[in-house]
Amino acid sequence: MDKFRSNYDEQVTPRLTWITDAQLEQIHYASLEVLERTGILVQNQEALKLLKEAGCRVRENRVFIPAWLVEECLRLAPKRICVADRLGRRIMPLEKNRVYYGTGSDLPFTVDIDTGERRVSRKEDVSRAARVMDYLPNYDFIMSYAIASDTNPCVSDLHQFEAMTTGSSKPVIFTAHNAANTEALIEMAAACVGGEDNLRSNPYIILYSEPISPLVHTNDGVGKMFKCFEYDIPVVYTPGVLAGATTPVTKAGCITLMNAEGLAGVVMAQLKKKGAPIIIGGGATPMDMKTTATLYGAPETSMNYAIMTQIAQFYGLPNFTEAGCVNAPLPDVQAGVEAAMTIMLTQLEGCNLVHDVGYLEGGKTGYLPFLAICDDIIDMARYTGAGTRITPEHLAVDCIHEVGPGGNYMGHEHTFKHFREEIWAPRFFIRYLWEQWEARGKQTPVDLALAKVREILAGHQAAALPEGAAEEMQAIIRRREAECRS
Amino acid sequence: MSSLKELAELVITGDIQKVKDATKQLLEAGEDPLRVINEGLIPGINEVGVRFKEGEMFVPEMMMSAQAMKAGVELAKEKIGGTDIPTAGKVVMGSVKGDLHDIGKNLVIMMLESSGFSIVDLGVDAPVEKFVQAVKEHKPQVVGMSALLTTTMPVMQEVIRALDKEGLRSKVKVVIGGAPVTQEYAEEIGADGYAPDAGTAVELCKQLLN
Repeated sequence: MDKFRSNYDEQVTPRLTWITDAQLEQIHYASLEVLERTGILVQNQEALKLLKEAGCRVRENRVFIPAWLVEECLRLAPKRICVADRLGRRIMPLEKNRVYYGTGSDLPFTVDIDTGERRVSRKEDVSRAARVMDYLPNYDFIMSYAIASDTNPCVSDLHQFEAMTTGSSKPVIFTAHNAANTEALIEMAAACVGGEDNLRSNPYIILYSEPISPLVHTNDGVGKMFKCFEYDIPVVYTPGVLAGATTPVTKAGCITLMNAEGLAGVVMAQLKKKGAPIIIGGGATPMDMKTTATLYGAPETSMNYAIMTQIAQFYGLPNFTEAGCVNAPLPDVQAGVEAAMTIMLTQLEGCNLVHDVGYLEGGKTGYLPFLAICDDIIDMARYTGAGTRITPEHLAVDCIHEVGPGGNYMGHEHTFKHFREEIWAPRFFIRYLWEQWEARGKQTPVDLALAKVREILAGHQAAALPEGAAEEMQAIIRRREAECRS
Repeated sequence: MSSLKELAELVITGDIQKVKDATKQLLEAGEDPLRVINEGLIPGINEVGVRFKEGEMFVPEMMMSAQAMKAGVELAKEKIGGTDIPTAGKVVMGSVKGDLHDIGKNLVIMMLESSGFSIVDLGVDAPVEKFVQAVKEHKPQVVGMSALLTTTMPVMQEVIRALDKEGLRSKVKVVIGGAPVTQEYAEEIGADGYAPDAGTAVELCKQLLN
């Protein structure tokens, strides 16, 4: 049994294929046309120079990328990126159809589990989320979850990384303010794995950086990415869009534009360093035309990811999408529907890195019990995705014969042997009969999840950092802080 | 021959060409350009604002109506020549230094324009001096700042301090917005107001100028 791949055992279904190969090609060609005809804006001087030297037509900082160069760079980009955890175990190979879940980064607001009030996020929230995700089995990587608003804004990204990597040994996808902080953060990560060489051979951190739609590649966005490639650190370089505002409103147009931006990233990455580990994809969310909110928990978003994942697989590149991020402000019925629908679909689509899980209010507010509930939803999606076993033992003809007409299966050995695998068991969803539920204090899934979160925070400790690493990280943060001031 | 009421209706439908044609017709027939603006084009866009707030009209529809109205106003302006068109107020808007995101700011600008404000757009990554310079040059009633990133939020405070230092702070109202920004933060840095979304930003500007 493999929990990451849908239908590992049967290798037939259920896998979701959304469009045909011919339609994939149409999107690919459309993206190539955008790059060649409209071009991109590049604000990073090094990238501009590389693109010009590689044969792109350049007018000031507008760059027109020829199709042959895109195809050439797609050939160079690694088809497989193996990501390790902080302990050096190569646990997260980004390969076709292996799906990994994690939260997102930088939530401005948090609903405090002690007071129940929504307040500005703090470093402690980053730390708490890291510890909760370190414990929960279905979170495969972590992101900062919250913003460390109570730290110096110049180095808040470094504080967030310190809190994450101390609170969990799982792989980390980080955000950083600029290239200098990215380098400092890489130094911090190296301190946690016994040096830069270990980090290079078993990278446990991935940068999240983005172009700004439409078609703008910023100095910081590209600079951070390039810095990572100098250290063989993988990079997610993906736009977060508002379809109808920063991309065309049509799904195919939105995907074409995002894909063009991703391909431009692939080209810059491979020109910087052959084989640079780049991950494509993005947040393909429409804008709500009534409220202007970003629609994460919407059907269009999942539909877009189905195609974007197919495109990444068509290129043979690892990809990054999002699910379990809901527009509901509270963990209610709407939140459950939005989270379950999107998580289920990403599991069946075979996206590699699925982030933003457990976010409320369209990615603005966090509440840890909902993060825990989403762990149950992922569990359910993975269980479903594992498929149905059709073997002689599972067809159970002998068992049916032994029980015969009119008997029952409750006491049969076959049931005893298989029930745990054949019937999924949730941790937070309620399945009591009314009287049983009443006798247990009428607790809701959110109540149960809150109790679990409290228990985790009181008792769970992540694998320890190597000796001296905590002090080294703090020294690096202090150094960057001093550099920022001068 | 269109009436002013019909012109307002055309603004609501967001048909740029028809608004242009109707405006031309009215002007050619000798209608007062200021009346065309104030009793035709502006009432049309005001109704759009009401319908958007009620959830009956959507952003792209409002956008087209705003463009149609602007096209009409341009034609009327040509007729008036040098005379200034009265506006609801002038607003200097920008995303502060370090922030390269502009969709939120652009939405606010679009909605302010639809409500009759005139806008000076400083774009993205606008440094402190650019805000100060714009206030000196354009003498707006309101300065609007937007930040999506927490790292760039402190720049909003720097702008307020710089305006203070230049003796300009009392001459303008400062409003701020952006995903991580809060009412508390606005109070903390001495801004006059905070708006959580574009629609509220318009109401806030109107309130502050009354």
